[in-house]
Amino acid sequence: MSVVASRVRQGRILLQMAMRNLVASRVRTLVVGGIVALGVVIVVLGSSLLDSIDVGMTRSIQGSLGGHVQLYNAASRDPLALYGGTMGESVLEPIDDFARLKAAALTVPGVKLVVPMGIDQAMVSMGNVFDVALERLRADVRRRMEQGAPADAPDYEAHKAHLRRMATLLQQELRAAREIADETSGVYRDRKADFDALSTAVEGGFWETFDADPLGSLEFLENRVAPLSLDGGFTFIRYVGTDPEAFQKAFPGAQVVEGSPIPPGQRGALLGKLYAEEWLKLRAARRLDKIKEARDLNGRRIAKDEELQRWVKENTGQTRDILLQLDPVRTREAVRRLQAALGTKEEDPGKIVAALLDTNDDNFDARYRIFYAELAPLLQLYSVKVGDFITIKAPSRSGYVSSVNVPIHGFVEFRGLERSALAGMMSVLDIHSWRDLYGYMTPERAAEVRRLKERAGARTVAREDAEAALFGGGAEVPVEPVAVKPFDEAALLLAGGGRQSREDLFRRRYTQAETDTGVALNAAVILDDPRRIGETMPKLVEAAARAGMKVKAVTWLEASGIVGQSMGLLRMVLYLAVLIIFAVALVIINNAMVMATLQRVKEIGTMRAIGAQRRFVLVLVVVEVVTTGLVFGGLGAALGIAIVHAIGWTGGIAATNDTMYFLFSGPALIPRLGTASLVTSVAIVFLVSILSALYPAVLAMRVTPLEAMQSDE
Amino acid sequence: MPEPIVEAVDVAKVYQLGKTQVHALRHVDLVVERGEFLSIAGPSGSGKTTLLNLIGGVDVPSSGTVRVDGEDTSKLTERALTRLRLDHIGFIFQTFNLVAVLTVFQNVEFPLLLQGRMSSDDRRRRVNALLEAVGLADHARHRPSELSGGQRQRVAVARALVANPPLVLADEPTANLDSVTGGHIIDLMREMNRRDGTTFIFSTHDPKVMSHASAIVRLEDGRVVGRETAQGAEAR
Ligand SMILES: Nc1ncnc2c1ncn2[C@@H]1O[C@H](COP(=O)(O)OP(=O)(O)OP(=O)(O)O)[C@@H](O)[C@H]1O
Ligand SMILES: [Mg+2]
Repeated sequence: MSVVASRVRQGRILLQMAMRNLVASRVRTLVVGGIVALGVVIVVLGSSLLDSIDVGMTRSIQGSLGGHVQLYNAASRDPLALYGGTMGESVLEPIDDFARLKAAALTVPGVKLVVPMGIDQAMVSMGNVFDVALERLRADVRRRMEQGAPADAPDYEAHKAHLRRMATLLQQELRAAREIADETSGVYRDRKADFDALSTAVEGGFWETFDADPLGSLEFLENRVAPLSLDGGFTFIRYVGTDPEAFQKAFPGAQVVEGSPIPPGQRGALLGKLYAEEWLKLRAARRLDKIKEARDLNGRRIAKDEELQRWVKENTGQTRDILLQLDPVRTREAVRRLQAALGTKEEDPGKIVAALLDTNDDNFDARYRIFYAELAPLLQLYSVKVGDFITIKAPSRSGYVSSVNVPIHGFVEFRGLERSALAGMMSVLDIHSWRDLYGYMTPERAAEVRRLKERAGARTVAREDAEAALFGGGAEVPVEPVAVKPFDEAALLLAGGGRQSREDLFRRRYTQAETDTGVALNAAVILDDPRRIGETMPKLVEAAARAGMKVKAVTWLEASGIVGQSMGLLRMVLYLAVLIIFAVALVIINNAMVMATLQRVKEIGTMRAIGAQRRFVLVLVVVEVVTTGLVFGGLGAALGIAIVHAIGWTGGIAATNDTMYFLFSGPALIPRLGTASLVTSVAIVFLVSILSALYPAVLAMRVTPLEAMQSDE
Repeated sequence: MPEPIVEAVDVAKVYQLGKTQVHALRHVDLVVERGEFLSIAGPSGSGKTTLLNLIGGVDVPSSGTVRVDGEDTSKLTERALTRLRLDHIGFIFQTFNLVAVLTVFQNVEFPLLLQGRMSSDDRRRRVNALLEAVGLADHARHRPSELSGGQRQRVAVARALVANPPLVLADEPTANLDSVTGGHIIDLMREMNRRDGTTFIFSTHDPKVMSHASAIVRLEDGRVVGRETAQGAEAR
């Protein structure tokens, strides 16, 4: 008889005994098995979820802004943080000549694209409704001056009436504010002047004489009245200045959802869709959207939710934003439509809009539909639209505030990151505008400054000195510039000697060389094969060094900062949970098996007396635990797989808030089953079983055959 | 002349019980010839169990030597001693000691599996033959818990004999049985002894059980005080 055959035979009886023991002590087996199964379910489910989050986030971040590798100036104090750091925008030293870096990077094998970037945030002013109305009237006036007044001009009259109505609304608002203000204060005096201006704009006399001096009247409205309507105001904008054409090629996840891409080589901006939703949308519409989402996705109810109640109240109380947008013709149309839709005879526009927005759980869906179907077409839902210009103002590197005007070409959405407060807020700006803001020379600025300098005979002052003077700088620099005033490029440009006209600037097409030549803050590198990231990074650094540039290379994940870290954090949480579960399992299995061993001392002693070797007893205990582990681990894995599939069939786990939406890279997470997670869970179970069987097995091994002789327990 | 199956020379066993030493056996000399059906008798605490444990190789003497089938038990490793028990000795316990989760058939088969020498067909034949011999052929698939005490001890007898050991030890095999059933078990053991020539050494308090023995060794206070054959007493 071969040793192997005898082992096999012993193995069979061992297995049989183990199984029988397990069946005999059902409760213990079920408890131990239940814990193992639970652990495996969590491993399988957790890692499936994480894997799909991982894949989704990788796709989203790589495809939106991250690329595969990011390069930036090694002298930078802060690490690159594409989505902003915890302490605000990271400060990077510039890459002075992107073209050189691009050329160097492209010599590295496997590098497909190199995209220049400069990320910053700045103030932006959007046109307000008053400006829009004024612009319309101004166009009317211009046409009338060029072509003569047509006999019938209802538009013209309506546009005038609109402005008058808006002035009335503003006046009412200011009156309400004055009632609570202190009459003797300076603020009150300022307000008085404002109030008088508004009164003029409301009075019939002003409008009757409007046509006598249309330009003067327009100027009055523009200078004295328009500033009082600050609803557009300033907001912040976060943008990436880039080569739009390269950006589009490199980042398929950045999709233009409205309007069109920035034409190759031209200036312009694409506003972040989420940013537009959050900051630029008509507030009442935005609140309706939020209430709808809260109701549909999170099951919240107006009746039971204070926040929703507040939103409804704000909507009914602040109808001004809507009324301001409606000229008399549209106001009449709005009232007519709402009367029909709501089945009411209410004539007052304010009251009927308030009635529309006075929603509760029963009527909300209907009101939401009416708002978007009837009222919204008469309104401009966003304070900017495609074709508008926005003015971005940012403190440049030289210290002065620079500002650029850019046309909005469209709205951009980063696939998978649409709802991320960090990533979804990003807008895209052409790199020339970005360089203007950043304060580095663009080709035409350089030329213009040169010309102006020549004309003024000005001396260039080193940038450092200018900065020091402006910021109060180091101690050795005098705070007051004495003899030499720093040369202020901005002042020169704004004085506008030979300034190019806006139209010229925006019609201009820059060559690729012009786009590449110049400053950037970081460069996104796209590889042919994303698996090559690790090996390509040092090569990129070397190539840059050969070209005389010290750059740092980081992976897209590192560059994504807190966004990528949230992934790591999730993983840590899962590992910790798994660790805890299996630590608990280990203790429980260990205890259960120790008890079982103690209960079976006599039986084990008998087997030893009859001739079973110590090893047999040891293996018996281990087989018992491992069998339990594997059988229940298998059941757990099957359950986990079933759950994963079930979740998939039911359309995945719906994201009920923005954080989830962001993590899921979309509205729902469909967990993907990885063989890795299955293998891992089996391995963990195996390991845990063996570990927890060790001590009881040793105890069992120590049982002597003498124990068999014990008369009774 | 064949070698005796058991040969104990000047065996002593001392247990340490706290600070006091318990001399369970002193200066025991014993020779058991092959084919004997030997009973060890003596009052409670006289050392019967201790002596059987030493012979069975589940314990080793404090001094002196115990030879079983020619092997000096105190010179064997743990593994070899276990092997000796497996191949040379069968055990019948006072409390039957069957493995609860195994069937009657599997309990009897167990030593054969440990030995791992027989094919499964041979094993089945051997186990069935033994079950037939102890009169439990119909109960092969039963669990021990479904059997009476007498039936369980029959299974134990079958298990002790299945590997065909030259020596079977039984420490008070009838103590947990009523006298009639106990008598049947002793008859069965005697029958096996006659049939195969297997040596049996068993301890008992019961004079009726003793009367079946071919010889009786009397212990008292850890010493052998006498040895008598069935034919009559024989002083030592
Ligand atoms: N493990 C032990 N530790 C200490 N003393 C022991 C141990 N085993 C036996 N003894 C002692 O050794 C002596 C002999 O015991 P043993 O069990 O051999 O007697 P016995 O003849 O089998 O008695 P009984 O008829 O009651 O079974 C007794 O005094 C007993 O108390
Ligand atoms: Mg005893």
